[in-house]
Amino acid sequence: MSGQRLIEAVHLKKYFAKESGFLKKQTQYVKAVDDVSFYIDKKETLGLVGESGCGKSTTGRTLIRLYQPTEGSILYDGVDISHLSTTELMPYRKKMQMIFQDPYASLNARMTVADIIGEPLEIHNLMQGKEKAERIRELLETVGLRASHASRYPHEFSGGQRQRIGIARALAVNPEFIICDEPISALDVSIQAQVVNMLEDLQEQLGLTYLFIAHDLSMVRHISNRVGVMYLGSLVEIADRNELYNHPAHPYTQALLSSIPIADPELTKQKQSIVLEGDVPSPLNPPTGCKFRTRCRYAQQRCAEETPQLVEISPGHCGACHML
Amino acid sequence: MSRKILEVDQLRTSFFTHLGEVQAIRGVSFCLNEGESIGIVGESGSGKSVTSLSIMRLLQHPGKVVGGEIRLHGENLLQYTPQQMRKVRGEKIAMIFQDPMTSMNPVYTIGNQIEEMILEHKNLTKQEARERAVEMLGMVGIPSPEQRLKNYPHEFSGGMRQRAMIAMALSCSPQILIADEPTTALDVTIQAQILRLIKKLNEEMNMSTILITHDLGVVADVCQRILVMYGGLIMEEGTRSQIFYHPRHPYTMGLLKSIPKASDQKQRLIPILGTPPDLLHPPAGCPFCSRCSFAMNICREKQPPYFKDADGHRVMCWLLSEEAPYVEAYEKQKGGVRA
Repeated sequence: MSGQRLIEAVHLKKYFAKESGFLKKQTQYVKAVDDVSFYIDKKETLGLVGESGCGKSTTGRTLIRLYQPTEGSILYDGVDISHLSTTELMPYRKKMQMIFQDPYASLNARMTVADIIGEPLEIHNLMQGKEKAERIRELLETVGLRASHASRYPHEFSGGQRQRIGIARALAVNPEFIICDEPISALDVSIQAQVVNMLEDLQEQLGLTYLFIAHDLSMVRHISNRVGVMYLGSLVEIADRNELYNHPAHPYTQALLSSIPIADPELTKQKQSIVLEGDVPSPLNPPTGCKFRTRCRYAQQRCAEETPQLVEISPGHCGACHML
Repeated sequence: MSRKILEVDQLRTSFFTHLGEVQAIRGVSFCLNEGESIGIVGESGSGKSVTSLSIMRLLQHPGKVVGGEIRLHGENLLQYTPQQMRKVRGEKIAMIFQDPMTSMNPVYTIGNQIEEMILEHKNLTKQEARERAVEMLGMVGIPSPEQRLKNYPHEFSGGMRQRAMIAMALSCSPQILIADEPTTALDVTIQAQILRLIKKLNEEMNMSTILITHDLGVVADVCQRILVMYGGLIMEEGTRSQIFYHPRHPYTMGLLKSIPKASDQKQRLIPILGTPPDLLHPPAGCPFCSRCSFAMNICREKQPPYFKDADGHRVMCWLLSEEAPYVEAYEKQKGGVRA
């Protein structure tokens, strides 16, 4: 699968300021994304996993400039897009689209399906009138809905169907890169498989590149070529999917993988589970050094003092831990 | 076989909406033995949560139990007065909910809420109730419980709130714990902590549990017996290994096939096509027939009865009838779904 780089994040940081105290004089920073570097090749799917609040959605949103990065650069096809102005960014906006988690909140309830799917075409001045109607019909069929659905409103559809509308909207401008931000978490098990299969088919047909963000680790394993694991704003490990799932190197990845419930009682009995103690620390006040050390079984003095860097432990497999 | 503690018999619950009667549960029967842990799995709208609310008699208008019996130690709970029911809740049957934030009162401390529950049901002084609350919080693994009692729910993290909910539910040592999607709102590492806790309490306190979830992985870990619900009916009931390794109902098979397996090869998922039935107009036959690849004529016309075998495995599907034709694809799937 190794091909051309499509998009690359280089030392990407996104801090959110939180003002507090008398007259809001104190400013604290939530380091939602803290020095994250990775790349995605063309036609590849990179999965991004982690617990809530680890910064995986912020990473995705910063990558397509829905948030202005605090530091670092984003290379799209070799061009640094991190400091482009809104107008300069327009052609890139057409290439990068997003599918959101909540199919109920991400569709405007007062717009018909045709308006929702047609909006990106209008914004980018791509099509008008008959041509646009034809394109909408085509998109609806691509995602497995009927052309007659175009005049309906979102509330007339089920969760799975709404997610299809969201996918049709993302596909409208013929993007190259799509960020799928928890696209199946709000759906029922039997519907999840329908949507995942469709995403795979579309990737095949249209040559799409995905960043697939999810907390369902078994689904990420299914859909991704490579998988990155995030913890409190840092990328702690990244590797090919089989390498990561079979030989997790970082203690956090090991614990995360061992806590996935497996729908197979025999396997569940066999697997040794590492149950982490405690909660994720507050991102306002993360631990010094390695952020995982407060919950880590192997934590040593050194972990509190030095921040581990992402190092390559085998070809394509990087981890950020002093033990490696 | 141990003693039956709770029996649900032909339970029917409907919601009387402006559009008409939505039949959320259409005749559900099962029993719970002492010290046993059963799981109810199903998709949203299959009736699993309504079943638990019906047992607790916590249904709100326009929901109403329209038929059947719920027997706790042989006594029908549906005939209890509200006062008698108050005694049952918490003391005999306790429940924990999906969202620990909305199921706690934000303006009272955690300690207040647990003590209130203890004082309501037990003849204890305030001091004793406080001691009991500390003990319970310690048992569910909350560090420094004496201090934590004085916190408000918003000062707890999601996982800790769910622990506090469990502490509250268990503070009067109920015989049955109903957990309705207890880990759905939590992260996987916290989910593992909570499930380990529920499992431990089930074993140590000999408490019966009903775990309601949509996640087959969760029931595989915790439950001994599993009920699969769909369209307001129990489609299949069996032990853990019967359901996971020898499923007989096409819906159960479909569910198991639609989740990704942990394998190195990329295999295509096999989804269940279509969408669940509209219970405002429930189908005359089997609720699953419109999505079932083995559907026969009779499936559309008549609701199948349960076909049971000797070891308690029961399935609501016409394919198990003696008169059913031999369907090779079905026979092939029966054993080897996980293979």
